[in-house]
Amino acid sequence: MLAYHLRIAAKSLRRTPILSALLVAGIALGIAVSTAFVAAYHTMAKDPIPQKSKRLFWVTLDAWDPKRPYNDDQPKDPPEQLTYRDAMALMNSPVPTHKTAMFKTRLTVFPNSRDQRPFRARTRVTYGDFFTLFDVPFQYGAGWGKEADAGPQAVVVLDHGTNEKLFGGRNSVGQPVRIEDRVFTVSGVLAPWFPKPTFFDVMNGAFEEPEEIYVPFRWTPIMKFQTAGNSNGWTSWGNGYEDMLASEGTWIQYWAQLDDARQKEAYQSWIDGYAREQKKQGRFGRPLNNRLFDVQQLLDWEQVVPRSSKTMLVISLLFLVVSAVNLIGILLGKFLARSPEVGVRRALGASRRHVFLQHLLECELVALLGGVVGLVASVPLLHGIDRLARSADDPALYQLELPVLGAGILLALVAGLIAGLYPAWRICRIPPASHLKAQ
Amino acid sequence: MIRMKNVSKVYRTEHVETHALSSFTVDIAAGEFVAIMGPSGSGKTTFLNVAGLLDTFDQGNYWLDGQDVSRLSDRAMSKLRNEKIGFIFQSFNLIPDLDVFDNVDVPLRYRGLPAKRRRELIEEALAVVGLTARLKHYPAQLSGGQQQRVAVARALVGTPRLILADEPTGNLDSAMANEILDLLERINGAGTTVVMVTHDPELATRAPRQIHVLDGRMLDLAAEAATPLFRPGSTIGGSSLGEHQPAYRG
Repeated sequence: MLAYHLRIAAKSLRRTPILSALLVAGIALGIAVSTAFVAAYHTMAKDPIPQKSKRLFWVTLDAWDPKRPYNDDQPKDPPEQLTYRDAMALMNSPVPTHKTAMFKTRLTVFPNSRDQRPFRARTRVTYGDFFTLFDVPFQYGAGWGKEADAGPQAVVVLDHGTNEKLFGGRNSVGQPVRIEDRVFTVSGVLAPWFPKPTFFDVMNGAFEEPEEIYVPFRWTPIMKFQTAGNSNGWTSWGNGYEDMLASEGTWIQYWAQLDDARQKEAYQSWIDGYAREQKKQGRFGRPLNNRLFDVQQLLDWEQVVPRSSKTMLVISLLFLVVSAVNLIGILLGKFLARSPEVGVRRALGASRRHVFLQHLLECELVALLGGVVGLVASVPLLHGIDRLARSADDPALYQLELPVLGAGILLALVAGLIAGLYPAWRICRIPPASHLKAQ
Repeated sequence: MIRMKNVSKVYRTEHVETHALSSFTVDIAAGEFVAIMGPSGSGKTTFLNVAGLLDTFDQGNYWLDGQDVSRLSDRAMSKLRNEKIGFIFQSFNLIPDLDVFDNVDVPLRYRGLPAKRRRELIEEALAVVGLTARLKHYPAQLSGGQQQRVAVARALVGTPRLILADEPTGNLDSAMANEILDLLERINGAGTTVVMVTHDPELATRAPRQIHVLDGRMLDLAAEAATPLFRPGSTIGGSSLGEHQPAYRG
């Protein structure tokens, strides 16, 4: 019966092509606008690592100024990042399955080819667990192991673009690369990788491209790396590099993988124990406030999705509703003009339910066509929003991903329901006898 | 087949009440061929609509094929219409963008029969009306007579127990009208009850029984003639019926 209703609906649409095109265009307009904003919102709000987002925890310790909170607006919030000394202490915890301290810097890379000029590469200073924690995909080789962390060994992981730049995209594992004043050996090359948002470092721009090179953390005190990311402090950072490492300045990010509630509880207990020890040494003057945020909690806490995006999303959905409501009158007129045919069908055995379904399906067919046209139209619209949201040199931020396409079609069908429910209900309530003589 | 007792139907507007049927009582047996006659506005079509479950009534009782249909749901009435009643209308009422096959198919679709069975029934019905060669023609490509034959095939295809025909020859010339009447007689001959509304006294005489409707009431000439209540020239409902034949309008 469904196929029959659809066939009748298709015939009805072909009977009035201009009116049908108008209806499809009405839905398409609403879908194009709403889908573009849904896509933009989805990019910001989606779970970037759904397979383990509940097991990855951003670790915070409240070693801030005892006299005033870190955030005056949210006085219960601890600082987002850790001091160097606390991060190093946490690296000694045996509880997490994987863990890493890390920060962002910029280092000078000297290409092997004399034709290429040295360049400043966005660099992540981290532990080998980084690649395991975040399921980072490799094109060649792999990250480095515990020995390289401990050494530290002069190993480097290149991202896909940097490997293209330095080695023409060839397998460069084992090749030397000079970084600053040392020669590092390539241990792995990443496959193209740009999680959105870049959840592992929302402190430095949740939609920034990931780093170009990755080097072991323990080179920090040796090569005196400076952070290129956000940092905060409430005491002096001191005069020299050693002072900075010993200071209360927070600039290190810390992640731990805790696979179940028991492990999380054990880790919470471990870091609280560490904080109590520090209290005895005169640090951690504030009440105990060491918190673990899973990925979604971190994104919410850091307000990765700005309020304006949520507002735009709501406005675009309202626009779709208004588009659909505008079609009610047109559909009602179209359906009522067909009352005599409905009368005949009722006389021949169609129930109100049949008539209602047939007309609702016609609306849904219009909505489906409008949805497809709207999705196509949303591509240039999303491109326009994307260009407004980033600088011209950055890679595209917003894309129409499969879930968004599905959402677009679903929205179209909902719009079809909004537009079609009342006209379909009206036409099915018309007494069958009233139009038979008029036919 | 049709048994109505004191059925009343009133159409109300803001200022006017029109009594389309007033205590209408009729009994039509299975297998009868009945002509319903009466002037315009007398209630013939209302009777047909109520009899065909296309319209509700306000008072009284109605048994269709032995079943009390006074308080049926829309779904149950639709099912009854689909399975027991075939309709033929004055203006054919074919669906213009469906071809002959699909037009005849409409009642079978709502019965949910499989495609193969539907095709068999459609071909049989079109064979009865002599239109098997026109399966793929659209209504606009057919003459009036052919269109009405398609409508007859559509009414027949579900093998109903009752055919309700509302002025089935009203839009046809006399030759075509006779052809359609021949068809209805053949259908009736096969055992199907036929109730036909007509203005044409000549065509009405081809039905063994004529029922006259006036001001929403029934005058069954054959039945009433035998009773002392009905005498030529008597007045019923404020209208003179004339000596032998009522004066018809419209």
